Amino acid sequence: MTGYMIEAMKTFDYKRPVVDKGYANQTLLIDISSSDISIHPVAEKIKEVFIGGKGFDLWLLWNAVKGTTKWSDPDNSICIASGPMGGTPVYPGSGKSIVTTISPLTETVIDSNVGGYFGPYLKFSGFDALEVKGKATKDVVIFIDGVDEKVQICETSGLPDDSYALSSILTKHFAQGKPRQISVVSTGPGAKNTRMGCLNFTWYDLKRKRVRYKQAGRGGIGSVFADKCIKAIVARWDTVSASTNNPADGIALKEVGRRHSKEIVELDPKQNDMAKIGTTHLVTIMNDFDLLPTHNFQYGQHPEAENVGQEVFRRIFDPGYDGCWMGCTVACSHGVKDFVPLTGPYRGSKVFVDGPEYETIAGCGSNIGIFDPHTIIEMNFYCDAYGLDTISVGTSLAFAMECFEIGLINETHTGGTNLSFGNRAAALDVVHQMARGEGFGQIVGQGVRRMKSIFARNYDADPDIMQDIGMEAKGLEFSEYMTKESLAQQGGYGLALKGPQHDEAWLIFLDMVHNFMPTFEQKAEALHWFPMFRTWFGLCGLCKLPWNDIVPEDNKNTSEPAKVMKHVEWYAEYYTAVTGRQLSPDGIIRMSEAVYNFQRIFNLKMGFGRREHDDIPYRAVGPVKPVEYESRSERYDQELVEKHGVDITEMSTEKKIEILRKFREEQYEQLKDAVYERRGWTPNGIPTIETVMRLGIDFPEVLELIRAHPNDDKG
Amino acid sequence: MMIRVNGKHWTWYEGMTVEDLLKDLEDSHHYTVIRVNDKHVSRPYFKKTLIPDNSEVFLISLIAGG
Repeated sequence: MTGYMIEAMKTFDYKRPVVDKGYANQTLLIDISSSDISIHPVAEKIKEVFIGGKGFDLWLLWNAVKGTTKWSDPDNSICIASGPMGGTPVYPGSGKSIVTTISPLTETVIDSNVGGYFGPYLKFSGFDALEVKGKATKDVVIFIDGVDEKVQICETSGLPDDSYALSSILTKHFAQGKPRQISVVSTGPGAKNTRMGCLNFTWYDLKRKRVRYKQAGRGGIGSVFADKCIKAIVARWDTVSASTNNPADGIALKEVGRRHSKEIVELDPKQNDMAKIGTTHLVTIMNDFDLLPTHNFQYGQHPEAENVGQEVFRRIFDPGYDGCWMGCTVACSHGVKDFVPLTGPYRGSKVFVDGPEYETIAGCGSNIGIFDPHTIIEMNFYCDAYGLDTISVGTSLAFAMECFEIGLINETHTGGTNLSFGNRAAALDVVHQMARGEGFGQIVGQGVRRMKSIFARNYDADPDIMQDIGMEAKGLEFSEYMTKESLAQQGGYGLALKGPQHDEAWLIFLDMVHNFMPTFEQKAEALHWFPMFRTWFGLCGLCKLPWNDIVPEDNKNTSEPAKVMKHVEWYAEYYTAVTGRQLSPDGIIRMSEAVYNFQRIFNLKMGFGRREHDDIPYRAVGPVKPVEYESRSERYDQELVEKHGVDITEMSTEKKIEILRKFREEQYEQLKDAVYERRGWTPNGIPTIETVMRLGIDFPEVLELIRAHPNDDKG
Repeated sequence: MMIRVNGKHWTWYEGMTVEDLLKDLEDSHHYTVIRVNDKHVSRPYFKKTLIPDNSEVFLISLIAGG
């Protein structure tokens, strides 16, 4: 690539503080409308309540936006932070960043976590969090240089649009011969032309001598980034060691880090072998348990699933160390070397593809009826290069394909494309259209919620059936697990703050396979503890995989094996070693509760966050169509007869569906009641005054919002 | 005529299935997935999956997903 220009139009020099016990103790605000750059101290109270990472992001965003702010308004900010433990190279999974903004899909706050080096480099450059607000009139690159202590806003021209080429060029441009010192955040043309843009966060792979990528995928953050005309944000930092984070007790940190790392090295090869196959092991396991979403979540199994399972990707992945942060022994970020796309702008070229992970295989594979690894890898590559979230792309395509198959839309609407399940060429073509903002791809890129409106309004499609089969909640597309047979996981998705993403609670096996939580109260307890514990990772700059994807050999003999308490205790030790603050496992839950409840109230501020917003489509709860019922008729018949005492003799499938639906929808509402009560919320799903006071988040605006919503109103 | 189960030697016999092994081990944990060499075997297939001689078997106590 030649002929590009990057020129600083604003340079802001600063004195980098020494990171102290995991904190830089200040944040960076960049207004790209005015080119103002400023530094703001972090108050002790904010550290105590919000901890870091997502907590800091939420506080910055809360203060940036009004309840009326739209995703494309200049007031909307993009906030990026790691956390106090972020950037620790001696503890596995310690390089995460969390990004928040007001989402184009949900129109309220979204958060997305991501690997790569950016968050730690940002902190070591002197900033616990970055907030970017405003809108530029033409493309800009923001450069945060912790080595030379300057922040620049740069004008650019001639840079490529796609994230794959762009990140490589920017890495080389800013590296001064040391590419490992650079991490780039960028997106691509798909983000500009859809609502489901992702952000790519890079790190430099020294062994392969190339830029690698991880994605902050969910909720269209990349679309906000592109709408602000931010071409990229680049961080530069020097060498990292265990002391860069300046932990309170370096010896204790190394000891607990050594224990966890050693255990992973010893046990991962005996368990899921993630250092070699990533999360692809889940494909066949989910398929075996009837949980792999297939054909828009209609079914949970497919006879061709093995074609896209772990044994295939074990052969395809390029062997080598694949940690998305330094020193991580899980090292699950695998990729495909010398891949040759058959379509699009890279057709015939050799590229390196980062991925696929389980979610992409299920979303851009089984759920759209594709069981060909090459097509899935190509979908993965182009989604990343175009800056598109593979989960939202997959689930949106799956919905469009089912609408096509049942005749709600036809080829006159799709631009002549036969959008049947399994049509590999059509799926790829739609992705290319999304990037160009053309044709039917432009409509798919609006996401499931808006497709439902467009199809009803413009194509006279039946809104009721689309409501049942359109797999979105709160405006966000479901991630790739089947929930029909697990009430707890229906709650895990439906009651998640940002929408149906599995990073709050993944309870399917515990509920459906193990039956560990038969009562509503037990499910509610799980839907309290797991989301709170998992929230904590996002506050601290951590990846959750080391917690429970590799478990101690004696874990099964503990009283609560699902919580992996040995690791929870290690995490408490780790936090104390870095920050110097004493922490117990119970304290972890209390820390998260404050931020979790604050995010729920943030939804309220934006006009959401009430009971009605926790509804999910019926396909997530039970069978919508007779073919779905009949695919699991033994299970459903048994439930009707044994659990509900229904006489199903000579009953039609349609009638059984109707009766089952009534029972299951009632159960879901009962689950909401139980969870709200456990979380200290009103029946309308709003945290009570007592709850926010107990958690120390009783800020005046919070109290005002709660008081504006009567507690006895079920919505 | 031996296999290794979580690193410990265990006598193998012709026709041994995953279900047989778990019964012989008298391990009451409700395993959902175990590994036989490089391959994960899920509970629905415990009964019909044969364990080859000289296999490495790993008992996986938890599948976390997500």
